[in-house]
Amino acid sequence: MNKVWIIAWHEYRVNIRRPGFIIMTLLIPLLGLIALLVGVFFGGQAGEAMTNIFAGGNRPVAVVDESGRFTPLLPAYTGSFHLYASQAEGTAAVQSGTARRLIVIPADYLETGRIQVVTNEGSFSALDIEDSNSLRGFFVDHLARDLPDAALRARLADPFRAQVVNLAGEEQSAGGAMASVLGFVVPYMLSILLIVTIFVSSGYLLRSVSEEKTSRVIEIVLSSVTAQQLLAGKVIGLGALGLTQVLVWIGSALGLSGGIVGLLGVAVPLFARPEVFVLAVVYYLLGFIVYAVMMGAVGALGADFHESQQLAGVFSLLASVPLMLAGVFFTSPNSTLIRVISWFPLTAPTAMMLRLPMSEVPVIDIVGSIATILVTIPLIVWLGAKVFRLGLLMYGKRPKVMEIFRLLREA
Amino acid sequence: MPTVLEVSHLLKHYGDFTAVNDLSFSVHSGEIFGLLGPNGAGKTTTIRILMDIFKSDGGEVSVLGQQPAAVRERVGYLPEERGLYRDLRVTEALVYLAQLKGVDETIARRNAGAWLERVELQDWGRHKVKDLSRGMQQKVQFVASLVHNPKLLILDEPFQGLDPVTVELIKKLIRELQAVGTTIVLSAHQMNLVEELCDRIVLIHRGRVVLYGLLADIKREFAPHAVRVKSGGDLAGIPGVVGMKATGEATLLELDGTTPQALLAELVRRGVDVESFEVASVPLNDIFVQVVQGGTSS
Repeated sequence: MNKVWIIAWHEYRVNIRRPGFIIMTLLIPLLGLIALLVGVFFGGQAGEAMTNIFAGGNRPVAVVDESGRFTPLLPAYTGSFHLYASQAEGTAAVQSGTARRLIVIPADYLETGRIQVVTNEGSFSALDIEDSNSLRGFFVDHLARDLPDAALRARLADPFRAQVVNLAGEEQSAGGAMASVLGFVVPYMLSILLIVTIFVSSGYLLRSVSEEKTSRVIEIVLSSVTAQQLLAGKVIGLGALGLTQVLVWIGSALGLSGGIVGLLGVAVPLFARPEVFVLAVVYYLLGFIVYAVMMGAVGALGADFHESQQLAGVFSLLASVPLMLAGVFFTSPNSTLIRVISWFPLTAPTAMMLRLPMSEVPVIDIVGSIATILVTIPLIVWLGAKVFRLGLLMYGKRPKVMEIFRLLREA
Repeated sequence: MPTVLEVSHLLKHYGDFTAVNDLSFSVHSGEIFGLLGPNGAGKTTTIRILMDIFKSDGGEVSVLGQQPAAVRERVGYLPEERGLYRDLRVTEALVYLAQLKGVDETIARRNAGAWLERVELQDWGRHKVKDLSRGMQQKVQFVASLVHNPKLLILDEPFQGLDPVTVELIKKLIRELQAVGTTIVLSAHQMNLVEELCDRIVLIHRGRVVLYGLLADIKREFAPHAVRVKSGGDLAGIPGVVGMKATGEATLLELDGTTPQALLAELVRRGVDVESFEVASVPLNDIFVQVVQGGTSS
């Protein structure tokens, strides 16, 4: 077996057994499970309360029609609305629980538009009345009962359904507002997840390198393989480890959220724009190589794990810049600032993964950013392997910045 | 005798500091060769170049007739700064390190078991490295350097921190390895052990060779022209004896114009009661100190 694969398999096998990894991997599904159990336990009571607040259960709405415009009720509404002769009768129905709430329509309703809502569910429940489609339909249907065109009545009740068209390109979504939201939220969340994987896996790499250095086993290893082979094996093995962790998280999330429903929720928006998904995977792989090699080199420089962590913080901060600019990504995904960090090789992978779901990214930006990353990777691997090889054999001290440059020249 | 390791005009700088300066020596097949020098002399840098961990700035290195990078799998190395994967089981660690040397996993497992038995750790293979005592870990580190059956074994301070019993065990194993044809380069500060084990040595100081050759020849070269005599008789007034110095129960007689054989004949002729008589030699330790402090070069 090739030595790179021996190292990769060793790293994967050893680290997947670590208590820290197991706890971290199982913690997320465990928290989800706890949330689910809590939901099931309190679900009955909470569900009832929510039903009462937002739906009112199956009880009808009491109506006192002093305007005469709503009498008699149209047959379509006789189940969900019930006419009462006086406000006292209607109020009694609400108090006894027979009716969900009482709507008093005064005689001057047509001039003022004012109605009175009587409820015993607190003021919060009254808020949804304004937006209640069924109530709006009730009013429009009765007011326009003389109009013969049912379609016109329906439009009066629900005047428009928006379809947003972006002047910069194609229409965003043909499936209504929810599809539009899912269309960028799902890839965006997936991008965040992949970015998290990059940082998690790079963290494992940092720890692995640092441990080999502090345990003094590194020189024995370097007498058998080159620094490049060691670094490559670690990147592959620990990358696979990070991916395993994310797959467990995704799998458990799907399992807990009803499996196929969750899967469809993720898959449908992704397949609506498959190029985003494909490019996200490309940037993920490129980003992982860039950050993992950097972390490997940084891990070799620190005298111990904590020192390596401090050094790695600088690079993590750099890679996190796009995450900090999430607001700009939402509002102006094609602004100059975003385009600049999309081309800069150390921020490009994360920037592009966040940017792709937000808008139609110009092809030049995609090609350009991939090209700069591809050009940078050999450079980073070359420099990283040099720093890695030199740093690993510097026991007990951290080289200063100028010393690192000198060592790079001499290596 | 075929040459296993050839170092020719080797050069290595760290900034303005020259760690290895025009270093040349060769190691013959099947010998135990001492690579000696004070701290900072350039030994570890030289060894790291031999193992292709560092690149040289000049000169040539040939290991088993090839470039160092090409023969990694046939060379064993026990570094001075050494350790093991503390969370791995002993056998697991040995098998992994053997696999990195190109050994098949099954063979590596068999080799590891056999070597653990030879260092009396056969019952510890399934234990984690961190559960072993320091001495046990050092034995495992030694095994890790040769579990792939190397043709050339480079040992950098193998006796450091070992108890006398383990020192004897390692010495025995080194001799056994030599007996089956393994060439060994030994870097150590315990000069008595070097004297016991090595056939030839190179002593480097400030990156340069200051002594190089057969250990017996070097000791002869540095030996004083003197004899050590243990006697109750009168040793004064003997022709050719130019100095006398008491060294414990014996007396060191410095000679000039005579030989040890002639002196012994003279003592017998005079009827001096001689309990012991030996040609005085100088320990390697003294040669080391003398050369390093005096800056002698050859």
